[in-house]
This record gives sequence, structure tokens and C-alpha cells, in this order.
Amino acid sequence: MDKLNIIQKTVMGLVITTMVFSVVVPLLFFLSIAFSSDVEMTKFPKPLIPTFTVTVKIAPAEDDQYEVFHDRGDGYRSIITTGNPTRLENHFRRQYSVRVPGEQLLKDFSKTRIYGPMEFQYRKDFFHNFKQFFAIVNNSIPALKNSVLVSVYTILISLSIGSVAGYAMARYSFKFKDFINVTLLIVRMFPVVGISIPMAILLIKFGLFDTLLGLALLYSVPNIALTAWITSSIFIGINKELEEASLIFGANSFQTFMRITLPLAFPALTASSMYAFLTAWNDTISALILTNKNQTLALVVYKAIGTTSSGIQYAAAGSIILILPALVFTFIVRKYVNQMWGGVEL
Amino acid sequence: MSYLILKDLEKRYTKGGNLVVNKMNLSIRKGEFIVFLGPSGCGKTTTIRMISGLEEVSGGDVLIEGESILHKKPKDRGVSMIFQSYAIWPHMTVFENIAYPLKLQKLSKSEIKERVMAAAEATDITALLDRYPTQMSGGQRQRVAVARAIVVKPKIFLMDEPLSNLDAKLRVSMRTELKNIHNKEHATSIFVTHDQSEAMSLADRIVIMNKGVVEQVGTPMEVYHDSATKFVASFIGTPPTNFFEVSIEEMNNELFAVSKSFQYRIQQELRKALKPYIHKTVDMGIRPEFIDIFHEDQVKSEYLYDTVIDFVEPQGTHSVLIVNLEGKEAKIVTTKYMDIRPGTKVSLYIRDGKAMFFDRETTLRIK
Repeated sequence: MDKLNIIQKTVMGLVITTMVFSVVVPLLFFLSIAFSSDVEMTKFPKPLIPTFTVTVKIAPAEDDQYEVFHDRGDGYRSIITTGNPTRLENHFRRQYSVRVPGEQLLKDFSKTRIYGPMEFQYRKDFFHNFKQFFAIVNNSIPALKNSVLVSVYTILISLSIGSVAGYAMARYSFKFKDFINVTLLIVRMFPVVGISIPMAILLIKFGLFDTLLGLALLYSVPNIALTAWITSSIFIGINKELEEASLIFGANSFQTFMRITLPLAFPALTASSMYAFLTAWNDTISALILTNKNQTLALVVYKAIGTTSSGIQYAAAGSIILILPALVFTFIVRKYVNQMWGGVEL
Repeated sequence: MSYLILKDLEKRYTKGGNLVVNKMNLSIRKGEFIVFLGPSGCGKTTTIRMISGLEEVSGGDVLIEGESILHKKPKDRGVSMIFQSYAIWPHMTVFENIAYPLKLQKLSKSEIKERVMAAAEATDITALLDRYPTQMSGGQRQRVAVARAIVVKPKIFLMDEPLSNLDAKLRVSMRTELKNIHNKEHATSIFVTHDQSEAMSLADRIVIMNKGVVEQVGTPMEVYHDSATKFVASFIGTPPTNFFEVSIEEMNNELFAVSKSFQYRIQQELRKALKPYIHKTVDMGIRPEFIDIFHEDQVKSEYLYDTVIDFVEPQGTHSVLIVNLEGKEAKIVTTKYMDIRPGTKVSLYIRDGKAMFFDRETTLRIK
């Protein structure tokens, strides 16, 4: 490869930096929000790294009450004056993400009656937003379960049908083969939203509306086509003699497919399963149209973002919950995709 | 007794299409090493694929020990095959590759191990058993393919150009090893190749094929010195046989092959066969080593033909001289004048009794 000169290097560096910046910064900001407490959200400027502790200043007040001061960046300000343990506990939980029983707080604060106003430091519950997300957003746990199931169904349906179609396209010649090839791509061109309405009508007729299987069927439509495309190119690359050798050395066609062809096509299958998983896991719009009670996690998070005005940090936490499995799955699969049987003519 | 019989075997890929293999008849004895030799597209690979069951038969029959095997699946035919690409499964270790057929036969673990070890020893790959094919050289993969083929103790060994992916030096040494293994295992073998030196050095008998038709079946010496058709004479031998158009004429009670620039006295044994061809044109073939050369100043006789050396290709053990004869290139192999220079005037002499004559229509040898 030619060496780049300084100008080219600088331009390349700038372009890459811009790209990385535009991707990474929003992600980091988003992560920071997911771990921020309510008071941190209203701070200006918003601290990028969320704190692990919160510091309040307590002054004793009349009638066994205490005045709570908090610094939002412009000096201590009086926030609340109360002696009610429940109010105190709620205030600390909601505002500072601190989970300490009200009685404990009152006991701590009673020291100020002797020593005068003083500062207290409490450990933040780092996963407060996540717990809150599951607490506030109703049916988020079943939604998580639904999402997992729909993804598994989608992978199973699109892989089992798509890989067989891919094998047929790679190994056999038949009438209209080219036409079918192109048609598969056309299926892929339709936005899923576009086929959601007719699918809804179909699913209602089949009694599959608002079921996970129905949703998985919809997601499988474009993914069967994609799987067929990915796997057929891999099947074409697998030398026919490898299968023929298996046939001669004692295997029947099914054994040959299971023991020789499938293992060799494994990278393609994992790549396809990744696409299928991501489609099913990330979709919101089709789920919005096609489900009523059986909502998926993506839909629940979407609704949470759409409906809460104050608790953006909870929606961010929900999004993290949504991203994590996709991230883990993609990383596991990536290992296999990279693990092609390199160096050999397959 | 015949072990494998091909009876009127035919293959066409599409209905009413060309015959890729045309009424092939062959019988092979037990333990014989047969080589199918021919240019690419002659049907040799198709034939062994039909024997193995990977290709459907369009007509005729294949019998092993007198029993037709056409209805059997490849795995039940008792054949094993070495493929051109070796077809070693890349996701299995060498041991697993060799053990695969035995596992499918549901043999006990200890027996599998024993037989794999024996096969690995025979092919000298015991040190490689835990490796994956990606970590091995072409020659090593080739050995694994051979080990896998012999481990099943087949009735018939089929080899589809197994050496063509190896480099020249390895090819020659693997060739010797294959022959060695064959001598040890005594397996009936069919070896497909387009390389004649491979065929000559390996075969008990060579089957020479051209355009789906068997041209000649014979030992290496037979096909070389007693070629049955013009194709065989031109295909076997490097450099190839020189061909000239000659007419047969009778003079003084003797037959002569006459062309524009030379006359050749036809040997006694062929006179009867060539009688019907008097005044007709036939093809005369003469192998390059049967043309002798003489310098101008040497003895002259009436059957010497004067020409000039155009090129010299030294080969070490011999030199190939290229001269112009009848307006065509003729090649001569000589061990006598190894460093003769291009441009030298020489006289050629076709050795008595060494010319072959072929009918122009049937291309069959006249004898």
C-alpha cells in the first residue's frame, strides 16, 4: 500500500475523528443520563460523569423538622423542610437516587441538634434508574420475556426456511432461478411498516394477531430472504467434492448435510441469525401495529420515552436494558463469524 | 476373472444431448491398476463418477463381481475415492477425517482407532493426526485423502486426478508412493489423469479415451509402440508422433509410401494390409526417435531426405531437433548429435519397419 502524505493523513484523521465523535459522544451522554439522578439531570452544566455519592447540608428547624440544602452548582439552596420520615425517604430516593429508610435519615440528622448545621454524604443507588424503569413502566418484565421469545422465533423461522432456500439456490438449477433470486431482494426492499397493515389483517384472519408467533412471522419475511442470500453465497463456496466424499464414505444425504455442509456454513448461519435477532429485537413500529397486550421491550421503551416528560433518565435506563442483549449477542456471534475456516478452498 | 465390468456404459447430461461417454466396454481384473487417460472433456472423470454413483448412468451397466451396482447408493457400492481437491473436511482433524467412514459404520472406538492408526502408518501421517487440514501442505492433505480412502478397505479405489494440484516435484514422488501403497494393499484401482507420464508410470493397463470413446486399452508399452488409432499415436509420447500425408504406390513389386519430398519403403509385414490402399492417401506416423540424422558428408543412400535444422531443444539426456519436412514441423529425438547447431544441413533417414499407417477415414491403424 502506498504511504499517505501528511495532508492526506491529516484529512483522513479529521474525517475519522469526526465520525468517531459523532457516534461516541451521544452514546456516552446517553450512558451518563442512564446513571444520573434527578438532581443531576437538572444541574447546569450537566456533569458528564455521574457521581457515586450525593452530599446534602442539613440544618435543624422547628417542630422536629429539618431543612435540606442541596448544591446544584450555584451554592447551597434550601430544597425542603420536613420532619416526616416518609417524605424524607421519598425525597431522597426520587431526587438523589439514595435509598435510605426515613427513620435512619432522621436519626442521622438528629446530630445537627447538637452540632448545628452539617453536611451529610450518602451513597447513590447506582442502578436506581433501572429499578425505577421496571417499577414505573408497567409490564416491562413480561415485555423483556416477549422480546426474547420473539427474537428466538424469528431466528428459528428465518434460519430454517432461509438456509434451505439458500442451499437450493446454491446447489440446484431450476426454472426461474434468477427471477426468484431477484424477487428475494425485492421482498427485502419493502419497509416492514409497509407490510404491517396487510400482515395485521392476515394475522387477524389466522388468529395470530397480538401473538408472539405472529410478530415473529412478520420479522421473518425480510430475514428469510436475507438468510437465503447470505447462506447461498457460502454454500456456493463449499466445494461440492466435500459433500460427495461424505456420500462415498458412508453417509446419506441427510447425514452429509448435518455433518459436513451445516458445520461449514456455520459462520453464515450465525451472521444471518444476528440480522434476524437485531430486526426482531429493535423493531418498535410493527410491534406497535401488531400487538396489544403482548408488547415487546423495544415498544415499551419507545412508549416510555414518548410519554414521560420528567423521567428521561428512566427511558435511558430502559434503552440500556434494550441495548445490552443485542450487544452481547452480536459480540458472541461476531466471534464465530470471524472464525471462518480460513486458508482452505471450501 | 473380471472383477469390474463396464457394459455399454453411456452418459448424456441432457435428454437427447451429446453422449459424454459412448458405449464404453471394459473389464478389469482384481488388483489391477487401470489408468483412464485422455484430454480434458473426454469423459474419463464422468466414467469413474458413474462407477462411484455420484453421477447417474444414462445407459448400460456397471458390474462388480458379476453383480450390477447401479441401484445402489454411493455408500453401499464398496468404492472409495480420492478427489482432485482432496476433499478433506476442513472442520475435522486428520484423525476425524479418516475415522469418519468408520464412525458411520458404527465400529467400536478401539477398532476405529486401530484402523485409523494402520492407515496413518501406511501413508506416513501419524504425526499429523491431531492437526486441522488448514495447517497442512498440499502433499500432506493428499496423504490424508489416501489414508481415508484405504481405511475403508474398498473393493475399488477411484482416483480423480489426485496429483494435479501438487507441484511437479511432489507429483513425481507421490506417484511412486501411490504405486507403493497399491502394491501393498492390492486394491483394484482406477486412476484418472491427463498426464501421460503419470499414466505410463502407474498403469498396469491404460485406457485411452477421446470424446467419450475408448480409443485403446493396453499396457503402457502397447499403447506407445502399437498404437491402435491415430489419436493414440498423437496423444502418447513427448514430443508427439510426426504425421505425414503419403500415397501408397507399387514399384518393382515393392510398396512405397510416397510424398512430395520423400519415399519410404514399406516393411514386408505391412504390404498385405496396405495393398488395398494403392494409389490412395493415408497418414503415416513416425515417432521422433525413429528418425535418424546424418551430416551431409556422410554416406548417401536413396532413402535419405535433405533438410535444415530449424531449432534445437536440449533436454540433457537427449535433444529435440525441429526440422521442416513437407512444409510441416517435424520433431526428432537424438542422442547422437546433442549440440548440433540450428542451420546445419542434415539428411534424415526413417528407420526401417518403424512407420505406422492410419486410414484417413476411420483413423484406425492399418496393420
